[in-house]
Amino acid sequence: MQALGKMKWLWIALAIVVMIALPQIVTSSFAIDIFIRILLFSFIGVAWNLMGGYAKQLSLGHAAYFGLGAYTSTIMQVNYGISPWIGMMAGGVAAMLASLPIGWLCFRLRGPYFTIATIATAQVLMLVFLKFRDFAWGAEGTTVPNLGSAPLMMQFEEKSSYYYVVLGLLAVGLWVTHRIEKSWMGYYLVAIGEDEDAAEAIGVNAPKVKRDIYMLSAFLTALAGTFYTQYIYFIDPATAFSFNVSIEAALVSIVGGIGTLWGPVIGTVLLETTSALLQSWLGSSVGGIQLTVYSLILMAVILWRPTGLIGFATDLYHRYARRKPAHA
Amino acid sequence: MAEALVIKGLSKRFGGLRAVQDVSFTVQENETVALIGPNGAGKTTSFHLITGFHRPDAGSVLAFGQEVVGLKPHDVCALGMARTFQVAKPFGAMTVLANVMTGAFLRDRHVAAAERKALEAIEFVGLSAREQTPAKDLTTIDQRRLEMARALATQPRILLLDEVMAGLNPSEIDQAVALVKKLAASGLTIVIVEHVMRAIMAVARHIVVLDHGQKIAEGAPKEIVENPEVIRAYLGSYVHPPAQGDAHA
Repeated sequence: MQALGKMKWLWIALAIVVMIALPQIVTSSFAIDIFIRILLFSFIGVAWNLMGGYAKQLSLGHAAYFGLGAYTSTIMQVNYGISPWIGMMAGGVAAMLASLPIGWLCFRLRGPYFTIATIATAQVLMLVFLKFRDFAWGAEGTTVPNLGSAPLMMQFEEKSSYYYVVLGLLAVGLWVTHRIEKSWMGYYLVAIGEDEDAAEAIGVNAPKVKRDIYMLSAFLTALAGTFYTQYIYFIDPATAFSFNVSIEAALVSIVGGIGTLWGPVIGTVLLETTSALLQSWLGSSVGGIQLTVYSLILMAVILWRPTGLIGFATDLYHRYARRKPAHA
Repeated sequence: MAEALVIKGLSKRFGGLRAVQDVSFTVQENETVALIGPNGAGKTTSFHLITGFHRPDAGSVLAFGQEVVGLKPHDVCALGMARTFQVAKPFGAMTVLANVMTGAFLRDRHVAAAERKALEAIEFVGLSAREQTPAKDLTTIDQRRLEMARALATQPRILLLDEVMAGLNPSEIDQAVALVKKLAASGLTIVIVEHVMRAIMAVARHIVVLDHGQKIAEGAPKEIVENPEVIRAYLGSYVHPPAQGDAHA
């Protein structure tokens, strides 16, 4: 057990070194762009997974918080000149506050009805921001003023700097998830996901636990929204509240393994890499091929490995470990 | 002896069905009371009403002098009243230990302390060998044991057991009876819903009989089996067949 623990820390240290060195070794901006997308969607997946994975509250409306985060920081920056670093936190708080009434409404429903209600909330928010032309620029959106190298305004000349920002976000997300997983909260979340009545019967205040985790999940998702807007220098309701963000957050977790620490990361690496590579290699010659392969991966995972790739890896590991008891 | 649970005038309707009508009974501290009656008599509904899963249309439930009608199930549990379910509801993906720890977190949020409490409860119900087994892989009797351990881990003073013997074979019923007796001996107040008459006779000091949502009799087991009203409503069907097994799962 002791040796296993040491090995684990060794692996984590190695992973950290590799992740920090990566943009210095692979300097092609195409590759770094893919890395950033992978880290960003891993982070969104990790945020989604807290509620959707551990507590099995299948939300397809996390774009609501992504968009709120993006709009809060951009409005503060463009209209009032406030740094997006502050705007990011403000966006997180705005998302937390928004999750209260949204959760209050949606958690009255269970199962598919809950999911549909969450989709609706993101769509409604998109419509709201389409209508607010005065301070949110309506349908045409706005570009974020390019200040060149301005780290205090979350703007960098080097793509690798964005990479480190989103790497930091992901590290925070994973650390928070790890802490929750190991605490009473993690047990309560899984218990609610398994059987809410049974959880209530042993003293779990299910509505409160769900509300709290939804707030945390919304907060983290909003941080991703701010980062994304700063990275692409543009915001409009269609990108900020894109249904794709909601879907991607859920899919990377489902493919990787819901309710596991690393599931969303592994899912994103597989899906984003495949989709980016296919798009660049075949995108122009065979239209839509990357979407086809993407869908095939999804179908394969859902059919054969509903526990996700993490479950698959764990099975393999146990089989291997059992054959070689000396290593167990 | 103090009154642990005082139920007065409990009533609940579902549409046109009067599931529970004006039911009153009292459970003394450290006593084991059985709630019996034919299917649909309102036993499980009474449990739901007492533990906050349904809100009664009328009536009151006092647990150690405190009104619990209107409280949520988790609040009822926090007051010291834990229950099990007729159809066991284990958290299938979790191990036995994690299931029981989830119960223990009610009184202590520290993982190490919850684990200690959970291990005690697991040992009490005789599941120690299955500690690391995923709950979904347990046999029926072990799932019932798990439910009891999980409820015990919340440190209740009153335990409500909903048909813990259903689906068990005769030798398992003997084990379950022994466990319920052990729980009672540990100082718990127990209300048990059961169909297995042999088990009820073995554990209950006092029996409340429901039929069509109404209380038709109550008393010591000896009086109940001789009560003509009870025989007509319920026990009649149990005179000839062996009084065990699971005719009413």
